[in-house]
Amino acid sequence: MTSLTNTADAAIPELAGHQRRLLIAGGVGAAVSLAGLFFDVRQFLQSYLMAYMLCLGVTLGCLALGMVHQLSGGAWGVVIRRPIGAAARVLPVMTLLFLPIAFGMNRLYGWTNADLVAHDEALQHKHLYLNTPFFLVRAAVYFLVWNGLSYFLNAWSLEQDRTAEPRLARRMQRLSGGGLLAYGLTITFASFDWLMSLEPHWFSTIYGVLIVGGQGLSALAFLTAALVWLSRRPPLNRIVVPAHFHDLGNLMLAFVMLWAYFSFSQYLIIWSGNLPVEISWYLHRLQTGWRAVGLTLILFHFSAPFVVLLSRRAKREPDLLVKVAIGILIVRLIDLFWLIAPEFHQNGIFVSWLDVVLPLTLGSIWLACFIRQLRGRPLLPVHDPEFESALGRIIERGAPPRTAH
Amino acid sequence: MKGPSPLYGLMAEFDDVSSLVLAAERAYGEGYRCLDAYSPFPIEQLHEALGSHHTRLPLIVLIGGLCGCLGGYALQYWSSALAYPLNIGGKPLHSWPAFIPVTFECTILAAALSAVLGMLALNGLPMPYHPVFNVPRFALASRNRFFLCIEAIDPKFDVEATRRFLETLNPREVNTVAD
Amino acid sequence: MADSLQPVEDPSRAAAIRTPAVIAPGHTFGTVTDKISAIVLARKTPLGWYAGFGTAMFFTLLLLVSLTYLVLTGIGIWGNNIPIGWAFDITNFVWWIGIGHAGTLISAILLLLKQTWRTSINRFAEAMTLFAVACAAVFPVFHTGRPWLAYWLVPYPNTMNLWPQFRSPLIWDVFAVSTYATVSLLFWFVGLIPDLATLRDRSQSPVGRVIYGMLAMGWRGSAHHWHRYETAYLLLAGLATPLVVSVHTVVSFDFAVSIVPGWHTTIFPPYFVAGAIYSGFAMVLTLAIPIRAVYNLEDFITMRHLQNMAKVMLVTGLIVAYGYLTEAFIAWYSADRYEGFVPLNRMIGPYAFAYWALIFCNVVVPQALWLKRVRTSVPVLFIISLIVNVGMWLERFVIIVTSLHRDYLPSSWGLYSPTFWDWSTFVGTIGLFLSLLFLFLRFLPMISIFEMRTILPEARVGE
Repeated sequence: MTSLTNTADAAIPELAGHQRRLLIAGGVGAAVSLAGLFFDVRQFLQSYLMAYMLCLGVTLGCLALGMVHQLSGGAWGVVIRRPIGAAARVLPVMTLLFLPIAFGMNRLYGWTNADLVAHDEALQHKHLYLNTPFFLVRAAVYFLVWNGLSYFLNAWSLEQDRTAEPRLARRMQRLSGGGLLAYGLTITFASFDWLMSLEPHWFSTIYGVLIVGGQGLSALAFLTAALVWLSRRPPLNRIVVPAHFHDLGNLMLAFVMLWAYFSFSQYLIIWSGNLPVEISWYLHRLQTGWRAVGLTLILFHFSAPFVVLLSRRAKREPDLLVKVAIGILIVRLIDLFWLIAPEFHQNGIFVSWLDVVLPLTLGSIWLACFIRQLRGRPLLPVHDPEFESALGRIIERGAPPRTAH
Repeated sequence: MKGPSPLYGLMAEFDDVSSLVLAAERAYGEGYRCLDAYSPFPIEQLHEALGSHHTRLPLIVLIGGLCGCLGGYALQYWSSALAYPLNIGGKPLHSWPAFIPVTFECTILAAALSAVLGMLALNGLPMPYHPVFNVPRFALASRNRFFLCIEAIDPKFDVEATRRFLETLNPREVNTVAD
Repeated sequence: MADSLQPVEDPSRAAAIRTPAVIAPGHTFGTVTDKISAIVLARKTPLGWYAGFGTAMFFTLLLLVSLTYLVLTGIGIWGNNIPIGWAFDITNFVWWIGIGHAGTLISAILLLLKQTWRTSINRFAEAMTLFAVACAAVFPVFHTGRPWLAYWLVPYPNTMNLWPQFRSPLIWDVFAVSTYATVSLLFWFVGLIPDLATLRDRSQSPVGRVIYGMLAMGWRGSAHHWHRYETAYLLLAGLATPLVVSVHTVVSFDFAVSIVPGWHTTIFPPYFVAGAIYSGFAMVLTLAIPIRAVYNLEDFITMRHLQNMAKVMLVTGLIVAYGYLTEAFIAWYSADRYEGFVPLNRMIGPYAFAYWALIFCNVVVPQALWLKRVRTSVPVLFIISLIVNVGMWLERFVIIVTSLHRDYLPSSWGLYSPTFWDWSTFVGTIGLFLSLLFLFLRFLPMISIFEMRTILPEARVGE
């Protein structure tokens, strides 16, 4: 049992090297994309917003999944509890990385333009909500809530590792209940502020739910990939069994279906109503070159992962599952591209080199921070009240060979 | 005019789950292949112990679901776009978004029907008569007793030898099952 | 079991972490079987059952009278008229369908999530689903005015060259609700087969043996059968889960694909589904609490069940509240005067009492469930569940009536008030629901016997 309480750094020495390499890659990417900032500020900000929302989605999705697991329990969560915590602890960095959006908001959001608002009755009506100071105050509140949740959950979890105090589990549960409520509300309004208001006339009440679903899916895909990687190294190679992947695969399947369900519901309702202010959002996406992106989403954000994840074999085969997970992360980026980019290029599809470089850059930086956070703590929460019932039998017996079905 | 009734097999009765699973494993290991175990609730290991393989049911359900999916869509396309074209709200005759809900429902309906009918068919149910019911104590198979039956058609079956073998498994009792 | 992650349900452990077990200690295969089947196989029917069934039948007769009068006279006997073309009928339809959803949720989703606490409540929750769907179906069928022509809703080759309009959400309803009824029936019946075999083997009366025997179809508990049975049951659960979501989604489309302000909003599908589960769990609690008391089933329907259902109610109630919030916010944010008018009209218009009562019942009262003291108090839970049932009915009433009574054109505004026959039909369906439930309690095992056996400690191999 002693080796289970070693920190990740001691168990997997190569983590430090990966962190360094990722940081260098992130630095190079940042230098290259800064060049883009000089050519086209607007394009830079637009691509940055997309890359940022993906990384934020993984971070917050992990935070939310962690809180869900505190409340629901289940063996699926025990083995990914530590990656979840590490991802949530990237939040302070994500807070800093929001600054370019805050500084660039005048170029991103049309409603910041006083001339435009002066000639638009609808925007004048919305000015009470869509104005620069209130936007910044709201953003500050969101980050305060998210950082607060992440801070306390992680601090208590660290204390649990040290003291094995059973009351901490109850305290974490209690915070998670209110925390999920706070997450749901903040992310809804954050998605209205940061994404929906890119087209300030358009509105959709399901938008927040759609973003929540997307964040959950991003986080699950990331965690699946992380678990596959960790399961090949000590100490998780003795712990993780195909059933863990099966559970994660099922959860990904559920979220793929949820995403499709939310997206289709929004489309069907707006398509049927066909009201000018609502349908315009789809018109410049579906009657221009952007249509190709829409079709890509139907095929690769829904059909392909859905069909693959239906198969029991695929969910229990880590080599295959990791490919699905990485594919899902890529289509998550394409989905954000679909939400953001057409607002800036209404006449037809346009892909900038920054749309590729910035996600890679932010992704590398994020991953480096994640690894840094992962290294400091053990990879398993041995004092979690559920640890024994979830993994006790596997540890006693020694995990069966992973190829077994 | 009661002659000796033909034999269906020999049935051993057990008190608990573990004995039945062990007995099934032993009987299979002994080389018996025509055998079945009866229990008042599903036991995952039992099925493996009897050496049977995966069921074809998921495939049947998949095919059923696909038929429902295509059938549901075709029904709507045919009636809305071909047989009875009507201009509704200026929407195109072939309006795929509006066809999704019914297509989905048809998929689920056909798949669910295939699951239930497929399960019953593969299990050979309904079956009003089966020899195992001739053993009076078998009524407890739906309460709290566990039974292992080695059938007479098994090539290795021999009334005396098989009974002796079953007696070694610590059963509560061994009964002959009339056909 | 080589790599199953099924958590170990260990009574001593459950006590250590202070959560009540899903089954009281000390039970064996025999006692579980005997206790549940005895309710069905008892020769003497308890007097209380006759009293309850009699009362329920009285209201069922009221339903028959109301429907007979409706068919003889026409739907003019109801209060709905243009502009409020839908009122009590659709409110009741959506309410009943929603109630049914908890049954499917408990049996399917909780099975997929490997929640063992579903076991003792799934059977009667599924029965509740079937009866609720039956009650729901009464309303649209009779609202057609000519229910004997209701089969025109189904596409079939006919000499009249008559085809349903597949772009109307009402035809989606026909498919969704009939699929839902069929699949729920299949799910329920498949779950019953092994228990019917138990009743067949234990029944003392020849008639009972024959009837249960026919229904059990010769089930004998063979290991090969169990394997396919479990596969089929899991597949059905996998199919029923998206189905239950789709049914209330289609119900929400009835409203959302129109352009009526207050109906046409994209949050409707998930928010209706959450509302359905919310009201369904409230109804399961409303029924489970008296049933466990009357039939002494506290060993099987433990505090753990009641607490978990309370938690599900709290979560779904919060999702519903989230729906109200985004709806109201976006109505303002849209800068559309008709959209913006809807929440105002709900809050201070002629139906303001219904709106505020709904907020009280659905949003304010359930917040008490945050407290563990409330979740563990049976009478308080019972009262909250009743309040939520009322609140969810009011929600549908508010959505339907307040949106219709004042839409775009002030010259065509109107008011709706229910007539005696509106009420009698609604109350009558409650009678029908309870009558069916009483029959079910008397003639079929209300708790899945074979699944209860699987959660006993002695069901584990090698111990």
